[in-house]
Amino acid sequence: MIAIIDCNSFYCSCERLFRPDLSNKPVVVLSNNDGCIISRTDEAKALGIGMAGPYFTNKPLIEKHGVATFSSNYNLYGDLSWRVMETLRILIGKQHVEVYSVDEAFLFIDFVKPQELESFTLHIKNVVEMWTGIKVSIGVAPTKVLSKVANKLAKKNKIATNCIWILDTPQKIADALRATKIEDVWGIGSQYAEKLKKYHILNALDLSFKTTTWAHQHLGGVVGARLVRELKGISSISMKDELINKKMIATTRMFGEAVNTLQPIKEAVATYASRAAEKLRRQYAAASYIGVFLVAKQNDYNATYKRGNTISSYTILPQATSQTQHFIKAAVTLAERMYVPGTTYKKAGVTLSNIVPDNAIQGNLFAAPQENNNRLLMDVIDSINASQRNDILKFAASGTNRDWKMRQELRSPKYTTRWEDLLELK
Amino acid sequence: MNDTFSAATYKGTKQFTQQHIATANATGFGAAADDFMERGIDLNEMLIKNKPATFFFKMNGNAMEGASIYAGDILVVDRSIKVTTGKIIVAAFNGELIVRRYQQSFNKAILSAENKRYADIVLDEFAQFAAWGVVTYVIHSF
Repeated sequence: MIAIIDCNSFYCSCERLFRPDLSNKPVVVLSNNDGCIISRTDEAKALGIGMAGPYFTNKPLIEKHGVATFSSNYNLYGDLSWRVMETLRILIGKQHVEVYSVDEAFLFIDFVKPQELESFTLHIKNVVEMWTGIKVSIGVAPTKVLSKVANKLAKKNKIATNCIWILDTPQKIADALRATKIEDVWGIGSQYAEKLKKYHILNALDLSFKTTTWAHQHLGGVVGARLVRELKGISSISMKDELINKKMIATTRMFGEAVNTLQPIKEAVATYASRAAEKLRRQYAAASYIGVFLVAKQNDYNATYKRGNTISSYTILPQATSQTQHFIKAAVTLAERMYVPGTTYKKAGVTLSNIVPDNAIQGNLFAAPQENNNRLLMDVIDSINASQRNDILKFAASGTNRDWKMRQELRSPKYTTRWEDLLELK
Repeated sequence: MNDTFSAATYKGTKQFTQQHIATANATGFGAAADDFMERGIDLNEMLIKNKPATFFFKMNGNAMEGASIYAGDILVVDRSIKVTTGKIIVAAFNGELIVRRYQQSFNKAILSAENKRYADIVLDEFAQFAAWGVVTYVIHSF
């Protein structure tokens, strides 16, 4: 059997852990730059606050009900996410845990006897809640897709299910599939949902009756066939290898304020390039492709933009590197080339690709081999930044006063990762 | 239940490799002590028994001075330890996190300060109370 464990309103739960005054009160967390609502507690949902809706459209409702509102505090969420996953690894062994996202993990629990599934999952749920303070829901089923279905049902009626739902008989599976709308099936996007409705496939059960050949034709080939097989109870999505290194790394942000001069844009892409390089070094890799993109404000771009309001460009470096200064140099050059005076920009991003392990960088016949000695410098910068605070050491190209920086007006303290942010108790 | 997993000991964060032995590649005569180099003492090993469940707080106030917890001290709090009578705990009480000694007798539970100027908090059915974690160590600077 496979279980998916999913933290309830994860970001909000993290905020609540250090704010007992907010337990049972509505809480929302906003995205980067305070643009959208990305996490809501049940109490906030009950008030009719929409998910992923822009903050400002919900603002009247939020103010009327005094909903506690937070900017995203990824340092805190990342730390608590690690704690939840580590607890799971300690409980059932890391070879049985696949971290799926910041707040979800698949557990491979074939070793549990069928009659003990319920007490086993309850035990996991209780230990995670006790150790980390984060409440979770667990769905158990023979396949990953079905476990997602079970998890949704567990969350739908938390009191009746105690946040655990187990699909261990054909009857329970059929009932669960019938209760799951087609657009709520894991892997079915809104476009496919519309298409399937035209074939009178309204819920997951309808889809599970289709043959894999049919799914192969109508539901995106291999992926669709696999999905239908999973709905039929045949496990087809295997456990991923642990820690697959990313093939591409991107850092992209909205600007706090739209900018129309070159200097802040150069500073922004230099900062994003450093951040991306940091992520790259964290997985002991080097990259040779660097891309930069700029997004202009709607209705404020001219004909040179081929695809809407986004313009992008890239450079291939002579040799894969993990050193920030190489990426900054390339990113700033690209930004200079792409910048069109008189245009107002709202967003920029840097992507790194062609990623290789940093101990296997291929030499270039036409370029002098680079000393990786600077790696030592990078390590020093990384560990100072990690232990003090982000960006305490940075390249001058990143600028010193950043008007374009993310707006994060309502961020809570970094309770678990900074000495100076520890919560004070009476 | 909780005792089953208390063996999840945190082994500390310090790395120790050949490079940390200052004279490992001495060109002259290597020091005899090289063979006896150890990683050194890591405080995390002592203070953190279960890393995913361990949190730090700062004491602000004099409620627990009798237990030698002074304002400005760092509290090491382990959520995986069961709250039992006599333990110093972090408690969520009326929407606030506080540090007190938890005492339970046959008919009532109280949170008591270690300072005569503070009254006991009786945990009746009307109290908004939840145990947050058990204080395992306090780091005090003289």
